[in-house]
Amino acid sequence: MTPFLRRQRALADYTLAALARRRGKNLALVVIFSVIVFVVASAMLFSAALQREADLVLAEAPELIVQQLVLGRQDLIAETEIAKLTAIRGVTAAKGRLWGYFYDRISGANYTVMVPDDPAMMPEPGTVAVGEGIPRARGFTFAQAPLFLSRWPGELQKFAVARTFDSDSALVSSDLVLMAESDFRRFFEVPPGVYTDIAVSIRNPREIATIVEKATRAMPAARFVTRDDIARTYQKLFSWREGLLVALAGAAILAFAIFAAEKASGLSAEEAREIGVLKAIGWDSSDVIAMKLWEGALIAIGAFLIGTVAAYLHVFGTGAALFAPVLKGWSVIYPDFRLAPQIDGMQLTALFLITVVPYVAATLVPIWRAASADPDQIMR
Amino acid sequence: MISLQSVSKLYNEGRPNEVQALRDIDLEIAPRAVTVFKGPSGSGKTTLLSIVGCMARPSTGRVFVDGQMVSGLPEKFLTEQRRTTFGFVFQRFNLIRGLSVLENVMLPAVPLGPDHAALRRRALDRLEQLGLGAKADMKVEYLSGGETQRAAIARALINDARILIADEPTANLDTELTHRFLEIVAALRDEGRTVIMTSHDPRIWEADMVNAVIEMQDGRISGAFA
Repeated sequence: MTPFLRRQRALADYTLAALARRRGKNLALVVIFSVIVFVVASAMLFSAALQREADLVLAEAPELIVQQLVLGRQDLIAETEIAKLTAIRGVTAAKGRLWGYFYDRISGANYTVMVPDDPAMMPEPGTVAVGEGIPRARGFTFAQAPLFLSRWPGELQKFAVARTFDSDSALVSSDLVLMAESDFRRFFEVPPGVYTDIAVSIRNPREIATIVEKATRAMPAARFVTRDDIARTYQKLFSWREGLLVALAGAAILAFAIFAAEKASGLSAEEAREIGVLKAIGWDSSDVIAMKLWEGALIAIGAFLIGTVAAYLHVFGTGAALFAPVLKGWSVIYPDFRLAPQIDGMQLTALFLITVVPYVAATLVPIWRAASADPDQIMR
Repeated sequence: MISLQSVSKLYNEGRPNEVQALRDIDLEIAPRAVTVFKGPSGSGKTTLLSIVGCMARPSTGRVFVDGQMVSGLPEKFLTEQRRTTFGFVFQRFNLIRGLSVLENVMLPAVPLGPDHAALRRRALDRLEQLGLGAKADMKVEYLSGGETQRAAIARALINDARILIADEPTANLDTELTHRFLEIVAALRDEGRTVIMTSHDPRIWEADMVNAVIEMQDGRISGAFA
């Protein structure tokens, strides 16, 4: 071991022994610090994971959605419009979609009811595939329980539940009911030849603007929603949720600032005396500062690791149990899913820089003053 | 050999609470001998000891240790002198509470980055010599007055200091412990070390093993006896 490493080891040994003397105070310090890091890190990890969920959802979305507008509101669109869209060069496919919302008076929840695009997902007539939130909202007690849907008192339709989606895609599928086209038209009384909207696939995403321009000329009463528009909407939704967390994190950082300022405001008489003793017995100012750096670093890095690991377990192990009810709300159906573990190195580095570095710096300021004092003060 | 030439010390210079602690001191302290500064409180004994031990700089005058002028050295070099040449036993001993006797004794060597096992062995040997081997792992606050003092002496000698500086070392000790302390000091002198103490305890400056007594009054040397 080189002399430098031996010196650092000796300083760290002494620092640990010194920290152990005030076990209660230092443990309290680590706990407070860890809680602050935990809140901020949970917020960061949760936001990053939600953002990733949104990106996953959008990866599957069509490049363009065409909606019919009547009196400024969305209306059903005629099947004949599809041919106008497929005639535009660059459009690879245009497909009518059927979807709508259903208010379930029994559970008080809103379901999203859809006919899937993918034939593999298409349920048999008389059956539905549902998101994991629906059996929970309905309080299904056995696996094969049928789903009864009633649009008004006295009317009741029965569907067998063919499949329940797993939790991986629950952020958007939690309230989803997939139906066969014939069931959908009958249930919502949608006549043949019309759709809710049309999903358009475009070969080259850079041509979207041109295609929208041409389609607008062909269908002046229609509204065109691109994937970027949806992305922006999601972004706003998640940003709002992130905003709540940022407010929470802001409060935590303010608490941290007060905590660090208190640390920077001065040393206890005992600490100052100890520094005097160390200097008198042959420690240099740089030795005292190095020892205090070890002290600050052991506390701050220890708390950072504890807080970050706890936040990771909280967000990805318990699905952010403390935040989820506020931040993931989907009317009365709260999605029950595990966020996929996702760590943003830049965010963690930023968190490290805004917590560990100021704390260590705040610790050093009063030490610097005390360490520069004459050692003979200890003699007087 | 330690030599002081025209040394004066002013505290709070230029302020209303200015104090002249030492005035124009010329002094030579013999090596491998026991020297005691005696005098009433406020006579400047402790200030003189601080300057001799490189803990404070004189306001004017020069201090030489083994022919090297140390009074003008920067803080870093003074620290080096304190670390390698001097060992200190303070009036209240100033051991660090909460640490064990062994940890306290090893403390002056920590910044030197020594081999841990070797340092530990050296510290245990020193404690053994002073009759504290069995208490090495005890926290210092549980030691008796005499044991605390011996632990402070062990700490002062851990870097094998040639000069031991002790400020009122027997102020809180009974006669038996004072005699025990004087025996230790005599043994250190016989090992070839220099011991410099302040004391207003007659049991110290009347002891046979003391080689020189410097009497102080109002920041000046008022008498010297061999």
